[in-house]
Amino acid sequence: MLTFSAQLLVGATIAVLGTCLVLVIVVIAVRMHRQGRQKRDEMLLAPLRGPLITVASGEDDDGAATEQLTWATGVTRDVLDAAIVDLLTKIRGLPAEQLVGVLTAHGAVDRAKADLHHRSLVRRAKAAQMLGLAGGPDAVPLLVGALGDSTVQVRNSAAWGLGLIGDASAAGAVLAATGGEQGGIPASTSAETLQSMGVGISDVLATAFDDGDARTRMVAAHVTGDRSFTRGLPALRRLLADDPDLTVRETCATAIGRLGRAEDVTVLARHVAVDEPLSLRRACAAALGELGEAGAVPVLATLLDDADPRLAEIAASGLLGLGADGRAALAGREDTAPVRAARTVAELQRASA
Amino acid sequence: MTAPAGDHVSASDEPVQPVRVLVADDDADIRDLVEFKLAQAGYAVEAVADGASAWESFEAHPPQLVVLDVMMPGLSGIDVLRKIRESEHPGVPVLLLSAKSRDSDVDTGFAVGADDYVIKPFSPRELLHRVNGMLARAR
Repeated sequence: MLTFSAQLLVGATIAVLGTCLVLVIVVIAVRMHRQGRQKRDEMLLAPLRGPLITVASGEDDDGAATEQLTWATGVTRDVLDAAIVDLLTKIRGLPAEQLVGVLTAHGAVDRAKADLHHRSLVRRAKAAQMLGLAGGPDAVPLLVGALGDSTVQVRNSAAWGLGLIGDASAAGAVLAATGGEQGGIPASTSAETLQSMGVGISDVLATAFDDGDARTRMVAAHVTGDRSFTRGLPALRRLLADDPDLTVRETCATAIGRLGRAEDVTVLARHVAVDEPLSLRRACAAALGELGEAGAVPVLATLLDDADPRLAEIAASGLLGLGADGRAALAGREDTAPVRAARTVAELQRASA
Repeated sequence: MTAPAGDHVSASDEPVQPVRVLVADDDADIRDLVEFKLAQAGYAVEAVADGASAWESFEAHPPQLVVLDVMMPGLSGIDVLRKIRESEHPGVPVLLLSAKSRDSDVDTGFAVGADDYVIKPFSPRELLHRVNGMLARAR
């Protein structure tokens, strides 16, 4: 006769095994369902694969293939639309415009506009993606509105779509969403979107330097450096000197390293002083190397003996990249740890290139 | 359609083999449309789905030009490019076609020996122009 605790153990084991079995069955069923659906989609799409590739490759001179795609109906049309959306992430130019025309004829673009307010976040995110890929004059305000969605997935999808369209008029809204309530959009998404909007965003970036939100100022500084908007240099110098947020100051230093001038050696050198935060000193040292100005050599040389080994290594790396003057400053220090590390990193970078 | 670039007739009016182009991309959409685009322009295209097949094909029958995706399972496009540059036919023009759009990615491609680098999403028409140009310069 089993004791009560033994019976309990047997019961628990059976329950666990039963649960595992059910989970395995569910996983297999889901996989089979997916595979079945994938096969069905492939079968439905097969007769249209030729016309689809013809249009996507820009070889539909007489419009016959486009017309064939336009006439798809029912489930085939839905499967085709999904395939077109997938293709639109891979191609651009006239073929992409023709495929958008097919989506429009199918009513997919209009449905996407309505779906931006659907209760399913997946539908809303897909709708934002579709509108970004389709573009068009009324997509921008709709996507700007979607930047205020309650979920980050939809907000990100809207920002991605705005980046695809590349309309600089949406730059202000993207920057505002960066520092918005409910989390807004991540700084990296915001920066990536703005970088796709070309030179027309420089005015908006200039005003963003004075925004109350540190993330917005950081994104403005990053994009200014990345896109080489030299008009932003005075603001970058100002924020490097006195922004209350350390990350903003570091980002400004990096940006100045990318687009600064000879006079910025002094600006950056001011912030490698020992009384500055270590992360800022490192960012400024790296920027001095990136700047490529011979005037940075004596500043970086003084950092070779710094108490922070990483800072000394950054200085050595900067000097290695500053030509004969920089290498001369390293003379007699070849066996020191920072210079050895910098040389190893440089060799590894060369080898991996 | 763009004027045929893969000449089928020599200056002496003797038929010649069309220019062979090897295309490697694990994305069936891209592979099919590049193959179709180049075939429509008169090239003899062999399309494969991974780096290992690309290298195998290159070794067996070196083409006049290679279009390589960078991110492929197994051997990447960069790996294949390295092998091509170390092979008996190091001068075959190679165009990298990739979604990797950072400056450092492009730098790496050229540093390893790519002749051109096209970022996805791409214009098929532009790709064809680039292929034509590379082959014209290689002649």
